[in-house]
Amino acid sequence: MIIVPLLMFPVLGAIMSFSVHTAQEKAATATTLILNNDAGGNYSDLFISFVKTSLKVYVVNNTTPEQALAQNLLSRYNSTYFLEIPQGFTANMTQRLNMNNTTVTASVNFYVVFSGGGAFENIGTSLIDNSVSQFNRYLAPDVLAIQKSAIIKGEIERRVDPSALSTLMVSQAIAMPVTIMILLTYSMQIAATSVAMEKEEKTLETLLTLPVDRFAILMGKLAGSVLVAGVGALTYMVGFTFYINSFSSLMSSSAIDLASLGLVPSLLGYLLLGVSLFVTLLSALALAVVLSAFADDVRGAQSLVGYIYPLLIIPALLMIYIDFNSLPTWLRIILFIIPYSHPILASKAVTMGDYPTSVLGIIYVSLFTISIMYAASRLFATEKILTAKLKFKDLWKRGNVEAEK
Amino acid sequence: MTLGLAVEGKSVVKIFGSIRALDGLDLTISEGEIYGLIGPNGAGKTTCLRIISTLILPTSGTVKVFGLDAVKDAGEIRKIISYLPEEAGAYRNLSGIEYLEFMARFKTGNREETDRMVTEAAEVSGLGDRLRDRAKTYSKGMKRRLLVARALMSKPKLSVLDEPASGLDVMHTYHVRETIKRFVKEHGVTVLLSSHNMLEVEHLCDRVALLNKGKLVIEGRPQDLKQQFSSSNLEEVFAKVVGFA
Repeated sequence: MIIVPLLMFPVLGAIMSFSVHTAQEKAATATTLILNNDAGGNYSDLFISFVKTSLKVYVVNNTTPEQALAQNLLSRYNSTYFLEIPQGFTANMTQRLNMNNTTVTASVNFYVVFSGGGAFENIGTSLIDNSVSQFNRYLAPDVLAIQKSAIIKGEIERRVDPSALSTLMVSQAIAMPVTIMILLTYSMQIAATSVAMEKEEKTLETLLTLPVDRFAILMGKLAGSVLVAGVGALTYMVGFTFYINSFSSLMSSSAIDLASLGLVPSLLGYLLLGVSLFVTLLSALALAVVLSAFADDVRGAQSLVGYIYPLLIIPALLMIYIDFNSLPTWLRIILFIIPYSHPILASKAVTMGDYPTSVLGIIYVSLFTISIMYAASRLFATEKILTAKLKFKDLWKRGNVEAEK
Repeated sequence: MTLGLAVEGKSVVKIFGSIRALDGLDLTISEGEIYGLIGPNGAGKTTCLRIISTLILPTSGTVKVFGLDAVKDAGEIRKIISYLPEEAGAYRNLSGIEYLEFMARFKTGNREETDRMVTEAAEVSGLGDRLRDRAKTYSKGMKRRLLVARALMSKPKLSVLDEPASGLDVMHTYHVRETIKRFVKEHGVTVLLSSHNMLEVEHLCDRVALLNKGKLVIEGRPQDLKQQFSSSNLEEVFAKVVGFA
């Protein structure tokens, strides 16, 4: 009660700061690819040299956005967006500026890859917005407009503003990790309580001398916990959907039809997400049962399970704010090792049609679950279920004694 | 298979960390008798009962229950025994009758057999209409009567009862004691129990063993032990053997 808030808020602050820093760093070091289809024009050259003052730029002449995608230029230059200077750019700028023709608008086209990432995904695109507004300030107000389009699953969706799309998707980016985090913490509490209650109420010894397979007792405990947690999760998700919808309906960007953009998981996607959630839930419950076997009572079991919570909360919070793929490799490995990251990863992956990521996650979590279940069944098969004790204070003391030796 | 023997323990040792709870215990209990374990706190009584009930494993030595090995045949032993721990509880949100039904279903898959067990246990418990109330509303004595009825209802070949009347008032103690006696007589159940109450052991048990520091010190019929130590009751025998009298 005292230590958790003291630890969690600094950790939360560190995650936020790390997420913003990573997004900014990524945006600052990213290459801005410019497709110049107005090559040789005075204003296009001026615009390119202007952008070059603040960003790392690579210019490709006479290439359409479709050709750029087909040639994999984005991955070649390690970028997630490109600017297109369309044909007639200089002519339009000249008409607008030199002939004062306000009916003509010069514009650049901005294409951003939508990765379904975190709440800070827009940081990169804001740098381009800044460049354009500074260019306008340099020449004349509102002389240059920016037309934004999103690149979704390798296809250009013209006039779908990536910022508006991200704003719309952020509700999902928050909803899934929070739901999964609450579902796992809730179900772990139930599972830990179910065994610890037997100990506290002094019914476990009797249960273990009954002619019933110990593994069946373990599975019964897990099944009961899954059932209660499942009902809890379902009611929670229904409530949370209403909560999110109440905000979404207020957003002007809700005019974007996610289904037509392919940003709603397919049936296979939902199936993979369900399997991922189920195996993760099972691994969390099995771990909670194993831990609770080391406690004397319900309070003790809940305290022991509490040590797992950072592993649930930190990945969830991290992935609310930042896209997994933009994280450094070492952090991605750590998140991958933590089984509770995988439903969150899967929820984003299936939305983006990245099925291999979710399948790989399911395989990993399944293997993790099998090893935990094996440990749990070994524990139930022996007298350790009655005699095992795990006190972190003792481990700490033992560690200190060994260190002194 | 050793005929006529309900329990046979040879050189049983149980070590918990640095504590030697049982130290080469030899024990034989005949079929159909009520056998009592007495001894001071920490003598190893509960450890002995837990090993026989297949809850924990001996560190060394062998324990056989009706010829079945307590380590290798634990699953088979669980089919023919019942165990009542010293500090046992009932599921607090189940009524007494629901608890009995729930426990009976572990013993038999037959609906009629379940009903028969529950009816008999309900009668044995003597709790009447209170069996319809949730177990959490029961007094300690009522809960113990329910649990003793649960332990006996399946008519196990061996019933292991750890302090069956511990902490109960005279009325509940009398009821529990009479229930055990009657059940053994009517159904030929072998009972192994532990107790601190010498009077209870003297009145209830056919044979008694005194445990001290994990070893069996003396064993015999209460009457014989009293004669052997020229004592008027088992309490005196206990005091003389343990050495505080």
